[in-house]
Amino acid sequence: MILRAAAAVFVKDLRTEWRTRVAINALLLFAFSVLVLVGYAVGPTRLTLEDRPVVNSVLLWIVLFFSAMTGLSRAFVNEEETGTAAALRLSAPPAAVFLGKLLGNLALLGVVMAVVVPLFLALMSFGIAAPGLFLAVLALGGVGIAAASTFIAAIVAKTAAKGALFAVLATPLLLPPLVAAVTGTQIAATQPDLVAGLDAVRLLFAYDGLMVTASFFLFDAVWRE
Amino acid sequence: MQVLGTAGKVVLGLGMAVVLWAAFLYAHPAESFVGESSRIVFFHVPTAWISALAFLLAALHSGLYLKTRKMERDDAAAAAARLGVLFCVLATVTGSLFAKVMWNSYWNWDPRQTSIVLLLLVYGAYLGLRQAIEEPERRATLSAAYALIAFVSVPFLMFAVPRMYASLHPDTVINARGRIEMSPDIKLVFFSSMIAFTALFAWMYALDVKATRLVRRLSERAGGFEA
Amino acid sequence: MRLVAENVSRAFGPRRIFGPLSFATEPGRVLGVAGPNGSGKTTLVKVLAGLLRPSEGSVRLEGPAGARLSVHEAAGAIGWCAPDLSLYGELTPAENLEFFARVAGRPRARDEVDGRLASVGLDPRRLRSIRTRFLSTGQRQRLKLAYSVLSDPAVLLLDEPGSNLDEAGHRAVAAIVAGQRERGSVVLATNDPAELALADERVTL
Repeated sequence: MILRAAAAVFVKDLRTEWRTRVAINALLLFAFSVLVLVGYAVGPTRLTLEDRPVVNSVLLWIVLFFSAMTGLSRAFVNEEETGTAAALRLSAPPAAVFLGKLLGNLALLGVVMAVVVPLFLALMSFGIAAPGLFLAVLALGGVGIAAASTFIAAIVAKTAAKGALFAVLATPLLLPPLVAAVTGTQIAATQPDLVAGLDAVRLLFAYDGLMVTASFFLFDAVWRE
Repeated sequence: MQVLGTAGKVVLGLGMAVVLWAAFLYAHPAESFVGESSRIVFFHVPTAWISALAFLLAALHSGLYLKTRKMERDDAAAAAARLGVLFCVLATVTGSLFAKVMWNSYWNWDPRQTSIVLLLLVYGAYLGLRQAIEEPERRATLSAAYALIAFVSVPFLMFAVPRMYASLHPDTVINARGRIEMSPDIKLVFFSSMIAFTALFAWMYALDVKATRLVRRLSERAGGFEA
Repeated sequence: MRLVAENVSRAFGPRRIFGPLSFATEPGRVLGVAGPNGSGKTTLVKVLAGLLRPSEGSVRLEGPAGARLSVHEAAGAIGWCAPDLSLYGELTPAENLEFFARVAGRPRARDEVDGRLASVGLDPRRLRSIRTRFLSTGQRQRLKLAYSVLSDPAVLLLDEPGSNLDEAGHRAVAAIVAGQRERGSVVLATNDPAELALADERVTL
């Protein structure tokens, strides 16, 4: 029943987003502008060979992180601003709201990744030696970003500052997975051997599990504050 | 009512004075450290320990607030976070001074330096969130939720990331072999300092909790959100 | 089911909005809440709906055999229509009702949703592809009324239900109140004397 209600929330958000395309447009435009800036300023040839994996991994995650910061707070900010949060609070179980919103943010981030990552690899001539590891790091990093963002969005939606606070609150929570994701991406770029990146994957996996569980249980207190 | 009586204050003051004297004049500098730099352990480790303790207290009281909805818990969590920032800054500065003496650079993104900066960021974000909400109950609830979610996230950098990178940081007090390797005089001063700093923190904390509560009561009476 | 409020009050920080109050609703009866602007009617209704925590006291639902539930545990047992209520502007009226029925765990078929729309005087066929944000204020108020009784609640909380409504709209409110009497109880907070006349008992703030 919770899952069916969560799916309803997810479909509702998807439908609303499809009709306005506000979040996805903002996210993609932002990501694309930053890509152009990075591609132009750093480019594929300006870095020495040994610097490429490190610098490119950092740049990729910076682009993804800031894109997430521009768009993922809408999940809840919109509900509070348009006043629909009260009806949702009254009708839907909190767990379903959290899961539905988390799914929505995952989908949004997934679309951004699907556009940004191939473009980034092409623009920067950034070669990946272990594509499996790279995809795993992207997926796990995305889940971590989406989970923390969804929870923080629920908090900032109830403050006066909203957007300004979102990045301030989310950044400290996201540093651990971002550091691990950068390390993992760097390993995926240089070593075809999957085992080398196991530490990063393990860390991301543990973070995701803990963050999803903790925010799932804490969400009730924030949502029905 | 006073938080700490006159006798307590005298004992605490004398204790701190003795620890200070012993740290600089009684204990011998440890081997394998540049010059007298090992003496920083008597200040750096207690302040770092207290910034972690304060973080733990803030999370604990946040959890209890969500459970009981008593504003006293929120006062305690806020006071712990404020003092945590103070001790966290002290630990960062003392660590940085030591880094300059040992490795000739104030800051080299050692994993431990990174973790302590993360802790500072979390404290800062927590206090920033508190300032952004005017209504007391809402502030208490949302900041408690944030403190708890941060409490889940921080240990990842504190414990997991340092293992992913090589660290220049000296062995922690109880090292990987599970033993405390200190000469007896250093050990004595070190643990005295830990006790003295913890007692100092306990006193400051009790004072701050009391002051926060008074400010809250006063503002409730005055009829406005701010004192 | 009865909605029981015991010594309930609400304050925002140091500012007390209403209370302490004690009362209970009875099945088949309408409880009017009257009071001038700023007396806390809207806040009281939100506390009864479980949308706001009471500062002191408690609100609970009591079943026939003395079973007790907090308002949070009784999903769908409470219906709410108030000026603060907003439905999704980007969804059509029918999609709104379908969505809220589904998240509450009581999915409704299209025909049933259309029937609900017709019952508050909204033409389901003409509004089929019109998003809620393009409706007039009065039409939106009618949709909100349809939302409030969507889950056939045991307790219906109406806060100024007649605002922005025409004559036919006021008759729809009266019909909803009459229909709810068959099923459960109503709390009706209003300044409209005609609406207050529907109430059997009255609480004045």
